[in-house]
Amino acid sequence: MKEFDVIVVGAGPAGASAALRMAQRGLDVLLLERGETPGAKNMFGGMMPFFPVAEELIPDFWMKAPWERHVVKRILYVSAKTSSTSMVFEADAFDCPPYNGFTLFRPVFDRWLAEETTKAGATLLCSCLVKDLIWKGKEVSGVKVGRDNGNVRAKVVVACDGVLSFLAQKAGLRKDFIPSQMALGVKALFRLTEEMINERFNLVRTQGATCEFLGCTDGIRGGGFIYTQTETLSVGIVLHLDALKKSGKAPYLLFEEFIGLPPVRRYLKDARLVEYSAHLLPEGGYRMVPKLFTDGMLVAGDAAALCYTNGLNQEGMNLAIASGFMAAETVIDAFTRGDFSSKQLSQYEARLKESFVLKDMKTFKEAVSWMHTERLFSEYPQLINRIMEEIYRSDGKPRRKIGKIGWDAVKGTISKRDLIADLLKGGKSLLW
Amino acid sequence: MVVDDLFKFTSFMVHEEPSIRVNQSTCAGCDHKACTFVCPARCYQWNEERRRIDFAYEQCLECGTCLLICDRGALDWNYPVGGFGVRFRLT
Repeated sequence: MKEFDVIVVGAGPAGASAALRMAQRGLDVLLLERGETPGAKNMFGGMMPFFPVAEELIPDFWMKAPWERHVVKRILYVSAKTSSTSMVFEADAFDCPPYNGFTLFRPVFDRWLAEETTKAGATLLCSCLVKDLIWKGKEVSGVKVGRDNGNVRAKVVVACDGVLSFLAQKAGLRKDFIPSQMALGVKALFRLTEEMINERFNLVRTQGATCEFLGCTDGIRGGGFIYTQTETLSVGIVLHLDALKKSGKAPYLLFEEFIGLPPVRRYLKDARLVEYSAHLLPEGGYRMVPKLFTDGMLVAGDAAALCYTNGLNQEGMNLAIASGFMAAETVIDAFTRGDFSSKQLSQYEARLKESFVLKDMKTFKEAVSWMHTERLFSEYPQLINRIMEEIYRSDGKPRRKIGKIGWDAVKGTISKRDLIADLLKGGKSLLW
Repeated sequence: MVVDDLFKFTSFMVHEEPSIRVNQSTCAGCDHKACTFVCPARCYQWNEERRRIDFAYEQCLECGTCLLICDRGALDWNYPVGGFGVRFRLT
């Protein structure tokens, strides 16, 4: 039976980063990927935020990584059926290197990162589905690979097998999922020309924009998004699974409604559909993070539910790469000491807690209950648009001050008690 | 755009063995049949005439929505054999 120092399961951002770091430090690393190529199973509708750890992994990471556009503009839409309010943030600082965030294609990015691991000496095997863990007593000591019925042994297994992580489950590190902790993202990629995208979003060079939409999901907890790549737009919606089930609606029909909204429709005019995809996102926040280590095994990336949204930031890839990196550093230390016990590997959690990874997740742990406030997705977007409409409407009636308009709009739709509760919840998640 | 068009634009390498198996006797007693509408790939359809779920694994996007939504344990859910299943090109 073939034996490696370390087996990394999953060649996504977490797994490839972990494998790369360990290979750079001279460990004999096997990186297993179930897709035909890295990135073949991943969906990303998004922006990877800048973070310095990436440059410890690969010098000039942000120059070398195959990204599409650097994001200088963030647009937030609050939509109602027949009107929408938006807020645009753009900053000169985001237009200067190091850029603040990037759009990219995962099949391209993941393949690039995985190739870096092989250059550093790791062994990458694609089309390999890991079916189970191999145990030696209560210690993980390898994996069973579907292809050729192969068993491979290693001192440590790093599970980066994605959002559904069956390995974390088999190792007893995570509980069974509950639908309210997960969101379904459905996305379509549309092709336009670079010039058309620049014109529609008012961009030049490799500048990019992101749009997030609230109130566009027919009252179902979730939201919509548009991200600009060089010649394509990633357009989709994200829906909490429990809310979707309760609604009785099909995600692709909700998607069709979303792309029919006037602002979305205008961005998409004459665009050609290129690819459709769907994926789950962990949305349970800090409390959903499983136990991160056991004897002979660590969990990183989506597999460790390291992913969050607070309504304004949506982060995952940066947490995946950083957690993969820190898992690698922990394993490298473990090899120096020749100790692969859970006690030694617990360093991993300590590292994550000291870094932005678990700090950010903890900072926004209350955002999960805020993002589960039903009214945020129906009553409030309608309210905001009703207020804006009265502010701007000219119909010969005497104008009223905003406070009066707002209070009248609230009175009919939301009880005082709910309003106060929601303000407190929103405040706790984002303000203090 | 018509929704049907969506499904034409995803690439697959279909394995002869289904990766997910549906326990039809469990499904017959299910009162919500949520899989028939939550699945983003329209893999599940209720066949009233035959009183069973028609399941098309070939177009599965491997997202796991059905696995989380099914509260009857009717699914034997696995990823496809390595290298098979959905192949995202640019997403």
